[in-house]
Amino acid sequence: MPSSFLFYIMKELNLFTLSLKNLKRKGFRTGILIFSIALTVSILVFGLSFILSVNSSIKRASDRLGADLIVVPVGARDYAEEVLLETKVKSFYMDKGIVDRVKKIEGIETVTYQTYLSTIQGACCDIPEAMVIVFNQDTDFIVKPWLKKAISRKLEKGEVIVGHESLLNIGLGLMDIDANIFGIRFKIIGALEKTGTGLDNALFMSDENIEDILKKGTSNLKPMDISVIFTKVRKGYDPYQVGRNIEGEIIEVDVVSRSDIGKDIIHTLKDIKQIFSMAIVLALLLSAFLSWAIFSAIANERSREVGIMRAIGAKESHIITLFFTEVFIIGTIGSLAGIGVGIYLFIFLSKGFSIIKNISTNITLTGEIAIALVAFIVGTIICILGAISPIYRLKKIEPLIAIKEG
Amino acid sequence: MPQIEIVTLTKAYMIGKDTIKALDSISLKINKGEFLSIVGHSGSGKTTFLSIIGGILMPTSGKVVFDGTDIYSLNQEKLSEYRSKKVGFIFQFASLLPVLTAKENLLLPSVFSQKNMGNNEKKVSEYLDMVGLGDKLDAYPSQLSGGQQRRVAIARAFINDPEVILADEPTGDLDEETETEIMGLFKKMHEEKGATFLLVTHSSDLARHARRHLRMHNGKLLEI
Ligand SMILES: Nc1ncnc2c1ncn2[C@@H]1O[C@H](COP(=O)(O)OP(=O)(O)OP(=O)(O)O)[C@@H](O)[C@H]1O
Ligand SMILES: [Mg+2]
Repeated sequence: MPSSFLFYIMKELNLFTLSLKNLKRKGFRTGILIFSIALTVSILVFGLSFILSVNSSIKRASDRLGADLIVVPVGARDYAEEVLLETKVKSFYMDKGIVDRVKKIEGIETVTYQTYLSTIQGACCDIPEAMVIVFNQDTDFIVKPWLKKAISRKLEKGEVIVGHESLLNIGLGLMDIDANIFGIRFKIIGALEKTGTGLDNALFMSDENIEDILKKGTSNLKPMDISVIFTKVRKGYDPYQVGRNIEGEIIEVDVVSRSDIGKDIIHTLKDIKQIFSMAIVLALLLSAFLSWAIFSAIANERSREVGIMRAIGAKESHIITLFFTEVFIIGTIGSLAGIGVGIYLFIFLSKGFSIIKNISTNITLTGEIAIALVAFIVGTIICILGAISPIYRLKKIEPLIAIKEG
Repeated sequence: MPQIEIVTLTKAYMIGKDTIKALDSISLKINKGEFLSIVGHSGSGKTTFLSIIGGILMPTSGKVVFDGTDIYSLNQEKLSEYRSKKVGFIFQFASLLPVLTAKENLLLPSVFSQKNMGNNEKKVSEYLDMVGLGDKLDAYPSQLSGGQQRRVAIARAFINDPEVILADEPTGDLDEETETEIMGLFKKMHEEKGATFLLVTHSSDLARHARRHLRMHNGKLLEI
């Protein structure tokens, strides 16, 4: 019933079917405009998706990191960010003695530390290259919330829990199995939930295993090596000030505060954003211009027809409706195609962009829908904007003159 | 009260700096159901006159009063309704939309007058039959001869049951036999529907059917 109704509507002559007939008549030209709108919209969708996903993963990373200040070996500030935000495997070390010195700084509430090791397939371990995060379970407050959700108990010696992404990397069927890491048989007992940060790509174990690993000598780790110190700052203290105090007292370290995480990336992102914005504005202008040019040509070609329609009773509103229906059809098809291409580009082409490849990208469905909606509206509006003046010129035509001019 | 009252109608065209007076203060009263013929030399102002009565060309001065209303005092919406509902115009020039078939060209006026299309389908084939094109329903204008196109345009002028038919040399490119058929149709419409006819023609055969005969000369209208 509904399909036969639709068939009836499509067969019937009305302003909609008339505009379809008009568009078909110059298929190639219609196609060019659709293509241009699609191109513009796809750039818009790709750019917005890119920026939104990078922004949100940085925000997520700093939100979910339970620390106010991150203390790293001097010069390792960037490495630390890469570990936390991206999926890079990095190792950098400082002396464990620094932990106690940090603890003594005024305003520090709690302190915990982690040691980063890297596994390289073949050499030491039978899992792909990954980051191993060795943490101190007595003081830990970084991994704890995730661990609690996953297994609701502490990790025993000889046990490993993996991040959400490395679970996928290692293989889903490998739960509750043994793996050789640094020459020691570890039991993989589970996986953490997705955190949306670099931690998703790591393996976690407690520092009770350090001694055994050192004994095997399968890593480049030396005794008393740690990589980062996470601290919480007491209420009433300014984290920045405390951070400066730490750097002042302990020359071997750099301090990153939570709100500074990803600052460099955000900075780089600003440039990328600017390039995207420029490309988008340019594409929008070009599309609007093309729409204007094409509808100006259409207006010239069809002024005689408009004259005829006006002479047999078409109101100005009929003419406007007819032409804007054509514009709207072009804008809609172009925008929809552009949204499809843009999302496809983002998913498949983005693998080639190291900045997205390394940052765990996951735009929520609502985010993607919002982007699609914005892109759709912009794509359609730009088409309409270009066509407005030619169409309004048409509507003012004096019927007889237009008919005779044809 | 006359159906149409034309009051000191003047139309001046500008060509560069020159003004051409195509119509020179014409006054005329036409009663409902009258059949008028207009003859005149080429360039004497016939098309201009018909167009102003049909609401598709602004006069320079003067009035066209239809059923008591000056049509050029109406807003564009009401003026469009006048063209759509009161007038059937047969143009001197080709006037079909090229993207539409003969049938669709006949349906087009009802798209603008918002009449029920469903009912019109039957009427459309009926009217195309009347002009002898019952077998050309789905032909596009480009697939029709000039005379056939003209006949589709004639059928289109009648489709909305107008009160006034303005026919500008409707049989200009038709042979004698077809002309007689079309004239038969005009007579039928005139007698059955009581429509008013203003017919510009050079054919004395056609003009014979008219009750009033007018001649246009240099923008002046004379009763003969
Ligand atoms: N748009 C215009 N601009 C300038 N002059 C015009 C225009 N239209 C018509 N004219 C002039 O107005 C005069 C009347 O033209 P009109 O078309 O009314 O003549 P007509 O009687 O219909 O002629 P025909 O029998 O050849 O169709 C002519 O001299 C013509 O040159
Ligand atoms: Mg003429």
